[in-house]
Amino acid sequence: MARAGGITNAVNVGIAVQADWENREFISHISLNVRRLFDFLVQFEATTKSKLASLNEKLDVLERRLELLEVQVGNASANPSLFAT
Amino acid sequence: MGKVTTSSTPPFSQEASNFDEVYMQQSLLFDDSLKDLKNLRTQLYSAAEYFELSYTNDDQKQIVVETLKDYAIKALVNTVDHLGSVTYKVNDLLDEKVVEVSGAELRVSCIEQRMRSYQGFADHGGRSQQSLVISTPKYHKRYILPVGETMVGANLTKSKYVGCSLDDEEEWPHFRNAVRATIRETPTSTTTSKGRSPSPSVQPQRPGPFSFTSTMPKKDLDKRSVSPYRFPLLRTGSRSSRPTTPNLSRSTTPKPSRPITPNPSNTKQRYPSEPRKSASMRLSAERDNGKDVEQFPSKSKRLLKALLSRRKSKKDDTLYTYLDEY
Repeated sequence: MARAGGITNAVNVGIAVQADWENREFISHISLNVRRLFDFLVQFEATTKSKLASLNEKLDVLERRLELLEVQVGNASANPSLFAT
Repeated sequence: MGKVTTSSTPPFSQEASNFDEVYMQQSLLFDDSLKDLKNLRTQLYSAAEYFELSYTNDDQKQIVVETLKDYAIKALVNTVDHLGSVTYKVNDLLDEKVVEVSGAELRVSCIEQRMRSYQGFADHGGRSQQSLVISTPKYHKRYILPVGETMVGANLTKSKYVGCSLDDEEEWPHFRNAVRATIRETPTSTTTSKGRSPSPSVQPQRPGPFSFTSTMPKKDLDKRSVSPYRFPLLRTGSRSSRPTTPNLSRSTTPKPSRPITPNPSNTKQRYPSEPRKSASMRLSAERDNGKDVEQFPSKSKRLLKALLSRRKSKKDDTLYTYLDEY
């Protein structure tokens, strides 16, 4: 009887260990996917920041060019005789 | 039992008819996705607390663990789905903005090009107006300096004759015609001046058309092709009577000791690079000689006639009269 009870305990321990390993595998999968998600978010942040920076630079250049054009148009409209044929 | 509660977006029953409605619907979806992402954190924390309490208090721990696993998988999938949607929309929005900025750059470039063209037109018009206002000085050919001479006071060196190239033989007929026209138009008025002795080397003015071929030999023309004084243009009538040929002056002058016109045989040839006298000094001296030359033959004939026809008994009134005229 005692021997049979020892085998049963061993089987139960083995089942518990296997379940524990399955749980650990599940947690590792979840953590791996979360890390992948985190890496994707970091990469997305970098690309989005780069795009936003280039867009900001383009907008700055465009703003300066528009200011220059505004001044030129203002000068031209202030002296309409220059364009009179 | 906690579940991942994500805001379910209702399906669009009615499709947008125009672009504004589609854009508004996409904006609403994007806002809902962002709100779900923000709420996902709190939901995960609350679910973790609930499963911790259930695992400690409930006897059926295996069921709690399995439920937790299912919840974690669903939460992860839902999070990935939300993040994918949000990132896609963010990328789409950024691309749209980049395209808009590129279009704006193109429009600004077009405006700049038009401004440059307007400025070019304005500059061209102003340049043409200023060029019409500025009057360039036009000098007569006789004032154009020869090669190597410098203008006094301006320190400008003329490298060539401008518009008066006598080296080209094709232009000789034009110069001849011009000089002939000048001589014909110029009145041959002679003035006398008292107290000036006639120069022995000058000749009287010959009436008739002026011809270089008749007055100058061909050999002299060839030898003196570089001389700028070969075809002197005439300013006044007195200057038009200047002698040009040494042969005629030698035949008519009583003392041909000093011919005025340059002769290659006995006079020093004048080169363009040599320093010259000023035009006013030289012309005034030659003008005097020319006047004397004009008056000398007729008066000498009259003087000889008076001397031959006068009688010894008469007093030389006429002679003195003629002498006084000298």
